[in-house]
Amino acid sequence: MSATARGRFTIVNERGLHARAASKLVALASSFPCEITLSNENESAVTAKSVMGVLLLCGARGTWLDVEAVGERAAEAVEAIGRLVASRFGEDG
Amino acid sequence: MKEAAAPTRERLGIAASRGIAVGPAIVLERRDIGFARRKIAAFECDAEVARFEAAVVDAQASWRRTLAGVDSKRPELAILEAYVQLASDELLQREVSAQIRVHRRAAEWAVSAAVVELATRLFAVDDPYIRERGHDIEFVGRQIVRALLATASGSVEGERESLRVLEPAIVVASELSPADAAAMMTMPVLGFVTEKGSRTSHTAIMARALGIPAVLGLGTSISDVAPGQLLIVDGTRGAILLDPTDDELDAADRLSEGARVVGERLRARRAEACVTADGERVELHANIGLEAEAPLALEHGAEGIGLYRTEFLFVDRRTPPTEEEQYEAFAGVVRAMNGRPVTLRTFDLGGDKFVSSLPLPAELNPMLGLRAVRLQLARPELLLEHLVAMVRASAFGEVRVLVPMVGSVEELEAVRALLDRAFERVAARNLPAAMRLALGAMIEVPASALIAGHLASAADFLSIGSNDLVQYALAVDRGNRDLAHLATPFHPAVLRLMANVVEAGHAHDRPVSVCGEMASDPMGALLLAGLGVRSLSMEPAAIPRVKAALATAASRELRDVAARALAMPRASDVVALLREAFGVRVRDVLDASEASVSASEASVSASEASVS
Repeated sequence: MSATARGRFTIVNERGLHARAASKLVALASSFPCEITLSNENESAVTAKSVMGVLLLCGARGTWLDVEAVGERAAEAVEAIGRLVASRFGEDG
Repeated sequence: MKEAAAPTRERLGIAASRGIAVGPAIVLERRDIGFARRKIAAFECDAEVARFEAAVVDAQASWRRTLAGVDSKRPELAILEAYVQLASDELLQREVSAQIRVHRRAAEWAVSAAVVELATRLFAVDDPYIRERGHDIEFVGRQIVRALLATASGSVEGERESLRVLEPAIVVASELSPADAAAMMTMPVLGFVTEKGSRTSHTAIMARALGIPAVLGLGTSISDVAPGQLLIVDGTRGAILLDPTDDELDAADRLSEGARVVGERLRARRAEACVTADGERVELHANIGLEAEAPLALEHGAEGIGLYRTEFLFVDRRTPPTEEEQYEAFAGVVRAMNGRPVTLRTFDLGGDKFVSSLPLPAELNPMLGLRAVRLQLARPELLLEHLVAMVRASAFGEVRVLVPMVGSVEELEAVRALLDRAFERVAARNLPAAMRLALGAMIEVPASALIAGHLASAADFLSIGSNDLVQYALAVDRGNRDLAHLATPFHPAVLRLMANVVEAGHAHDRPVSVCGEMASDPMGALLLAGLGVRSLSMEPAAIPRVKAALATAASRELRDVAARALAMPRASDVVALLREAFGVRVRDVLDASEASVSASEASVSASEASVS
């Protein structure tokens, strides 16, 4: 049985979903076996396991990001991504 | 945002070489990723996906090897890690997979198309960082394609396979080098179309010399042309038509047959001298780039070679040609022309013409940099060898030496001194040669047009290169598609410079010829004759038409029209004047379609004047 989990998070870090943030997000997403897709006002349903896909979201500070995970450890994945976003992707300052 | 309209079958580009051609496409990819676009069958899809995946692994392995081989702390190497990551990016894999399974494209084509798709999206983002990723994905795509080609054929490195056309076909390419165009002489190429290039690019010039219909500058509108797809190339109008209907094919046949008949009729008069209606002589010479074009020149009635572009000898090789190789080529042309004069232009390299045999440093403004005579004088030993070969070729007939882009009297004097040394060398080796070679200055820079009198007294003849003169006088890059409409020889400033050169030639009793694009346009030729030019040089195929056009007007009338043109404020006024004065007559002697072409060419190059 495949679980589905969803979450909406607001981008709070200074530079938004940029290079480093995007690759951290992709690295995190890739560590989960489930399918994870991201949507925002610019793009719908890009895979969270693609740096290019994440970059195409152009997620700027203050915009929202929808995360949907389907499959094994879906809830855990959404929660982890939420934490990463909230932690400003470890960006300094 | 510009949304792509419903794809039409007609695509418009630059009319580079007149004529109609109908045939299947042969598609060449750009030089740095050479592969044929191949459609695959359903059963091949899995294998192509597997090839793609293997190629990704190969490309990543090569980056990892590079990473392992160097001090890993260097920051620029971080990009290699990014490439490794991008190559296995899921979005790329999905897109490539769709290209293979849905569009049925072989892996190379699939990768290339997927990259274009992704890069286009990235380039559209209003963020410089993300746009830069577009370049990264393009690079990664090229490396994957290279890896695919390496496993397919065993050979990797970059250069496209040399052009090989076995069946009659239309060549579709991003761009073609003059060497590619030259190679077409011996192949059944019906026509060609390219994304890049303009009417005055060397590829266009070669196409006209070879009489192959060509449409250039089509941009990415031809990126979806598939191999084997039937198309009509209308080099007269500057359009291509994909998948023509039976009716359209019939119409194309009628047009090309009509053009052929007119061509035959005009060529039949090749032995007749070119004279104006009142009997004044105008010499018509041919521009060529290859020894093999000399017979073509004779067939079209050339009285000599007005411009032999020796730089083609330097193309597609690792080292400059030896004196002996140059001598063979020059002597070959001189012998083929059988007593008619042959003007050898010293190698015109640099600027927009770069060759591997003579590597040059990159410049910000190459057209204003180390090119033509400047480059020659910077490599005096190379120029001396070049001139020795020319002197030796004069044993077989009249040879004239023409120096490109002369900007000062000093430059011409420096070449003259080297020419004297070349004579000494030939004499010291007891080789046969003429007593003396005429040395000419090419007038391509406004500065030299303004001091034409001084140059005329230092030279034996002057030759106006209208293409570069237009470019330098009007500050218009002739390779820039967006500026093509500004690059017109009918601009009154250009005409005044030319009139100044002609006047200087008359005052010093030195012949003045024109060897640029303008001379091959019937209207341009009429105007030049009116300005007092009595020698024109053009691609061989244009000679019969220019001859017929010049025969329609008397010299006095030509002079009057030219005098009025010089006083006009706008290029479009000059074009309108020429059309009013000569349009009907020229149309009568050429074919109706041919005349309307030259009129529309003139109007296109003059301004956005309306074309009937």
